[in-house]
Amino acid sequence: MAGLHIDKINKSYGPARVLADIDLSIVDGEFVVLVGPSGCGKSTLLRMIAGLDAPTSGDIFIGNRLVNALAPAERKIAMVFQSYALYPHMDVRKNMTFGLKFTGVEPSERERRVAEAARMLRLEDLLGRYPRDLSGGQRQRVAIGRAIVREPDVFLFDEPLSNLDAALRVSTRVEIARLHRLLGATMVYVTHDQIEAMTLADRIVVMNQGQIEQVGKPLELYYTPANLFVAGFIGSPAMNFFPAEVESIEGDKVRAKGPTIARVTLPAGSLTRGSKLTIGVRPEHLTAGAPGDFSTTGAVELVERLGEASYAHVRRADDKLMVAEIRGRDTPAPGQTVTFSAPAEDVHVFDEAGRRL
Amino acid sequence: MRGSFAKRTMAEPLSQVVASMPRGRFLALMALFLGPAVAIYTLFSIYPLIATMALSTYTTDSSGAYQFVGLVNFVTLLTDAVWSKPFWNAAWNNLVFFAVHMLVQNPIGIALAGLLSLPGLKLKSLYRTVIFLPTMLSVVIVGFSWNLILSPLWGVAEGALKAVGLGSWFAPWLGLPSTALVTLALISVWQFVGIPMMLIYAALLNIPDELIDAARVDGLGHFRIFWHIKLPLVLPTIGLVSILTFVGNFNAFDLIYTVKGALAGPNFASDILGTFFYRTFFGFQLQLGNPTMGAAVATVMFFIILAGVCLYLFIVQRRLRRYAF
Ligand SMILES: Nc1ncnc2c1ncn2[C@@H]1O[C@H](COP(=O)(O)OP(=O)(O)OP(=O)(O)O)[C@@H](O)[C@H]1O
Ligand SMILES: [Mg+2]
Repeated sequence: MAGLHIDKINKSYGPARVLADIDLSIVDGEFVVLVGPSGCGKSTLLRMIAGLDAPTSGDIFIGNRLVNALAPAERKIAMVFQSYALYPHMDVRKNMTFGLKFTGVEPSERERRVAEAARMLRLEDLLGRYPRDLSGGQRQRVAIGRAIVREPDVFLFDEPLSNLDAALRVSTRVEIARLHRLLGATMVYVTHDQIEAMTLADRIVVMNQGQIEQVGKPLELYYTPANLFVAGFIGSPAMNFFPAEVESIEGDKVRAKGPTIARVTLPAGSLTRGSKLTIGVRPEHLTAGAPGDFSTTGAVELVERLGEASYAHVRRADDKLMVAEIRGRDTPAPGQTVTFSAPAEDVHVFDEAGRRL
Repeated sequence: MRGSFAKRTMAEPLSQVVASMPRGRFLALMALFLGPAVAIYTLFSIYPLIATMALSTYTTDSSGAYQFVGLVNFVTLLTDAVWSKPFWNAAWNNLVFFAVHMLVQNPIGIALAGLLSLPGLKLKSLYRTVIFLPTMLSVVIVGFSWNLILSPLWGVAEGALKAVGLGSWFAPWLGLPSTALVTLALISVWQFVGIPMMLIYAALLNIPDELIDAARVDGLGHFRIFWHIKLPLVLPTIGLVSILTFVGNFNAFDLIYTVKGALAGPNFASDILGTFFYRTFFGFQLQLGNPTMGAAVATVMFFIILAGVCLYLFIVQRRLRRYAF
């Protein structure tokens, strides 16, 4: 078992800089999820930890061991791929033992590990089957089994569930969480799915354009996003943003106002009169009709009813759309003008550069 | 009037249109689509084949008239020493010719494809083009060039070997009975090695990168990945290459004829079924042309190839599994 330490990793393909000065420390046994928009470099970072690609500069340590020059098999890692990447010409048992043969594991030990992994993943009845005779979920369990038998220090997952259907995704997700508890190994997991990230992670790393925007516990990212990017990326539907400007300063309070919002009182911080701000409020924190510290008014254009909640898409004064979540059966009718409000503690304030205040 | 207009403009699924067609029109449509292919195939493939087989059951008497003799020509060919000796010689030589291709051309083609598929290899398309280039040359030109290169009188081969200190290795390979056939086979290998390379390279490109990554994580180096992962996955293509080689080799004629002439010397050492058939059918120098015996030889060649292909289709190909990725 070991932690993982990434020190100033850079990666360029020719002039294109894919990763820029990535620093990340992961403690032993931690489950870290990498999220970010498509093309931000998540897979590239994972492949560099695995040793499948070399960084342009920077160091990678796995459990205090500098692994830059080591081949993937020598790094004590295991990787699970999105496409499963099972060997199509080998049965399940062979798929799992194949790698062990080349790393000098005794046959009896191989058998023991396969039996244990098969029990853990409920694959006992499938050991003699070929990948073509397995369902997508079973294939992914075999791929995870192949990773387990390597007894790695670090597990790497690259969007392992994205080829599965919704129901299977949920059950396999639970399976992976259970495995993490059972094995206690360090895991680095790439996903597009926010729910996967929020439910599985000890810590989430939000990446954007080759850089880390924020690292934090799931609820930290949700309640105190460090910047506009994280605020907009975490949470679904995304946070609403309102432009605003500081009107006056009174002691440790400032009053701010914007074209789409009523006057709001905020903690002062380092603001001066006339500072431009962005105010963010999540759809689930907006309440229709009730008074609140923050309020905004608009015309309801569309209501999406999901059952436990409805999403009202509201046209604001500046002609942009915002989303408000409405609980209960009373939903506003399209065309109706509604005032939404939120308490001060649910209002996020960002400065002109997009940093949280 | 209005009704028929509506019927014509309405978009109906084609299968329904065909199903509701009068039988006569349906047959006419079939004839229109299938007719040309069937006609051409019949005219240029099936008819000559059947005509050849028919001809092989006749013989010409002294007056030149054809006489039906059943399978006598085949019995003569396989048992009469005058005919069977050169026939078995040509058949054996053909087998050697095929074996050289299987043991040299295809392994080299596979190895080249494996090298081309290595990640990070520079100038890939240059190598690919250069290796494939001879395939596009005429066999006549290739044969003529190698004849000149290997000539003990003015060929560059001896000089080239001397230049690297191997002058004593040189021999007039095309002129010695012990080496002529293998030399010719190697010339053919040189020309056509690009074909197995390209076919197998295309198959290798089909293997997903993640599978190779998984093997690397499992601790396999490039060679082991090739041997344990890539090669088993392209076996069906290797099977296909083998059967194409077989058919091509047992139909071969042009290279031997270009380099050694119809007598396939020295002393028939490079005689294969193609050249044997040519002499039998058309005659050469003192030997008179014998169309009915020639047809018998052609028929035997057809059955040898048919047997080989059937063996492949029913025994080998069934054991090879194609993998969908
Ligand atoms: N071999 C390469 N040559 C040039 N650019 C590359 C190469 N491989 C990746 N990139 C670029 O690096 C960037 C990051 O790619 P990467 O696969 O890490 O993205 P990702 O975050 O995993 O995206 P996704 O969520 O879509 O999988 C992309 O912009 C991609 O175009
Ligand atoms: Mg990716």
